[in-house]
Amino acid sequence: MLSPYEKILFALLAAVSLYLASVTFRRMIGTIKRGQGRLAWDGLPGRLWTGVKALAGQNIMIRNRPLVSLAHTGIAWGFILYMAVNLVDVLEGLVTGFVFLEEGAAGQVYRLLVDLMTLAALAGMVALLIRRFIVKSTDLAVAPNVKLHPRAAGGIRRDSLIVGFFILGHVGFRLVGASFDIALHGPDPWQPVAALAAGLWSGLEPSVLTFGLHASWWIAIGLVLAFLPWFPFSKHAHLFMGPFNLMTAPGRTSPGALDALDFEDETIEQFGAGRITDLDRTHITDAFACIMCNRCQDACPAYATGKELSPAALEVNKRYHLRDHMNSLAAGGEDTEPLLGYTMSESALWACTACGACTEACPVGNEPLFDILAMRRNQVLMESAFPNELKGAFTGIERNGNPWQMAGDRMEWTESLDFKVPTVAEKPDYDVLFWVGCAGAFDPGARDTARAIATVLHRAGVDFAVLGNDESCTGDLARRAGNEYLFSIAAEGNIETLNAAGADQVGRKRIVTGCPHCLHTLGNEYGALGGRFEVLHHTQLIDELAKAGRLAMPGRDETRTTYHDPCYLGRHGGEYEAPRQALAAARPSLVEMARSRNRSFCCGAGGAQVWKEEEEGREAVSDNRFREARETGADTLAVGCPFCARMMNDANKRAGEPMRVRDIAEIVAESIRDDRE
Amino acid sequence: MNIIALVKQTPDTAQLSASMDGLKLSAEGGPRIVNPWDEYTLETAIQAREEHGGKVTALCLGPPEAAEALKTALAMGVDEAVLVSDPAMADGDSLTSARILVAAIRKIGAFDLIVGGRAAIDGNTAATAVQVAALLGVPLVSYVAELRNLDPSDRTLSAVRLLEKARETVTSRLPALITVVKEINEPRYPSLIGIRKAARANIPIWGCKDLSLDAAAVGAGASGVEWRTELPPVREAHIEMIDGGPEDAARTLVDRLMEEKVI
Repeated sequence: MLSPYEKILFALLAAVSLYLASVTFRRMIGTIKRGQGRLAWDGLPGRLWTGVKALAGQNIMIRNRPLVSLAHTGIAWGFILYMAVNLVDVLEGLVTGFVFLEEGAAGQVYRLLVDLMTLAALAGMVALLIRRFIVKSTDLAVAPNVKLHPRAAGGIRRDSLIVGFFILGHVGFRLVGASFDIALHGPDPWQPVAALAAGLWSGLEPSVLTFGLHASWWIAIGLVLAFLPWFPFSKHAHLFMGPFNLMTAPGRTSPGALDALDFEDETIEQFGAGRITDLDRTHITDAFACIMCNRCQDACPAYATGKELSPAALEVNKRYHLRDHMNSLAAGGEDTEPLLGYTMSESALWACTACGACTEACPVGNEPLFDILAMRRNQVLMESAFPNELKGAFTGIERNGNPWQMAGDRMEWTESLDFKVPTVAEKPDYDVLFWVGCAGAFDPGARDTARAIATVLHRAGVDFAVLGNDESCTGDLARRAGNEYLFSIAAEGNIETLNAAGADQVGRKRIVTGCPHCLHTLGNEYGALGGRFEVLHHTQLIDELAKAGRLAMPGRDETRTTYHDPCYLGRHGGEYEAPRQALAAARPSLVEMARSRNRSFCCGAGGAQVWKEEEEGREAVSDNRFREARETGADTLAVGCPFCARMMNDANKRAGEPMRVRDIAEIVAESIRDDRE
Repeated sequence: MNIIALVKQTPDTAQLSASMDGLKLSAEGGPRIVNPWDEYTLETAIQAREEHGGKVTALCLGPPEAAEALKTALAMGVDEAVLVSDPAMADGDSLTSARILVAAIRKIGAFDLIVGGRAAIDGNTAATAVQVAALLGVPLVSYVAELRNLDPSDRTLSAVRLLEKARETVTSRLPALITVVKEINEPRYPSLIGIRKAARANIPIWGCKDLSLDAAAVGAGASGVEWRTELPPVREAHIEMIDGGPEDAARTLVDRLMEEKVI
């Protein structure tokens, strides 16, 4: 199609574009390589499949914001197809006489597909531009109290506008070109949209039409050549960095399972992330994968309640900082600017509840939670700068083995029971080790839950034992607060205790916890430190016992009940069904909250929040969640975590006690008691 | 500025529970901690060094295990630590302790400021630091809640003392000895880097010989104080339930409290 001069020009422009792209892409890769560790490449075929699925499936996005996601899917699928289309068009331009698939059935299907997907991409792009620039959707804004790179707000708008017009220009002129082709060579029923557009050119001279065809080709293809080197500077790099990020995601035992730090190696002098280069490579990749859609921000309990934290702003700020320093970082230069400062405020850092809603919501596999916890590690281990209230909790774990700094007896909660709870020493042949947790041992409310769990186990005839005073804090709060050193000491001690108690005999002995945080640390995180146990949550065991007919609960209680998914049982533990079924065994009338299961909204206690004052904001996270529970019209709010129980109880009291907050174990234990009486 | 921080290791009284009463805890070698008041001592000393430069030396008298308390001091950020430990020094009263500490302070050398806690939570005499100041012949400013003006060039300090029903601002010349109360600051939590530094540190142990002290002049034998304690202390308490509605009950309660001269 192209003239010899055009072919030479194309070769020159393509060479320049590819050369510049190789420079900028190398810079981006060099910047990513400044991070710690390695990107995960093990099991490459599986990872490639993950990338392909993510690219083609668009699956994570469709879960939230359905209309926007539909528009995006049109553009995305259009673009995936256009990867082939561009190649075909270039070949058709360069190779005289070459027509892809020609007139056969395959050619007809190809042309129809391209024609329709062109329309989908254009319609999607127009919809998204209208949303951003005319409707000005608030979803795309960041609250003024959140730290944002000074150029980010304007930069994102400009970037979006450039890409919007690039896509409209690229796809649009491909369509215009096709319409000139039809006007020149006669109608094509397999390109209905292009045929419609061809009507515009009726009566034009063939020379004009040929010029139009060439001009369209040049604009459509030229835009790609122009845009290619720009990709690493644009958030639209997400179109390949997103799938790349998902492909190279580290294999974690659970979405929130942190990596251990090496405290033995004396040459290591930096713990946690003080500078951007202290982050893992996968978390630098996150910034390049981020499209700044703010889905994580929508899901964040801290942001929703007016705190200074937005996980989206964190990624945006990282990206703008990287953009500013890409040259020097890729060249090995040192970055001295403290990460905490340009990415977020201190209040934002300590507002995170570590609930994992951000990582769950992210369509491109970003893990803002990990950046936050890496920065907390730096604050605690390097700077010793953290909310003062946490000191008491740390000291409590160090000295008393519990964050409450309680010196009491860990068996006291059993005293009011009408049966004896044996310790492991008294009953070494136990089947189930009941890990009571510090809350169960010391918190008055959680003691009721611990007694309820013990009662259920006792009535079901489960051979169980507890560690008694050998039990000690799992270190969850220390880890989530950045005190990895204290966590490692706590974990080592507990692993030793549990191994000595025989709990490491997986297949023969199981651990049941009364707290999802213990469940997460023991089950998902101790493994990396050498503690391998089979751990389950009490609602999982209750569900199992109910299904096996070991819990007689004939009295069906029709009290309307709603269930709050604890973050560390749900998102981090992947368990949504067992607690619902355990609850249903006693109370079938479950009403769901709007935000439930993987979209559950944190109670506000996690991430060590319960041990400190909540950061400044519009409202307490717990009040926000409690309001939602109340709106269901349920009488009882069922929980599965002593900290959720505490937060919801407090919110209930503030609201004048309109509901009853009960752990599922208590509800089940009550219905067993009814049976006995 | 040369600063000396007096640190004691004590039993963790927060760990005392029904099953561990009285001194049985320390006799059994239960968990030991930096005397909580001395955390404020260390913070005060470290902050003064951060502001004025110089060096902080933590000084501790106690059994060899007390080196752990000095490791905490080093982890928090003191520059040097010295443990004074000798079996002959055991079970002395506050005056013999003060004599030993004074000998050690003289061995450490010139100082501008000595900081101590208001008391140690085990003996709770609040006397040792006072006696150290007296023996050294330096001014004592006790119960300091705020160090307003520490001026090494002018060789003065100005401090707010927390008294029972008043706050008193005092100025003193340097060198001086101050004892601090918990209102003065918020002790820092040792960073991991500090903990690692402390783990590698070599803490010298000075005995009677190093301090040229006569073993007979220290320890239980030289003490003027003798302890005769009944443990656990006998409790005299009884419970009285007040009946009636909230208003009547409150009225009765107030009457009873006034009768007992509680209010």
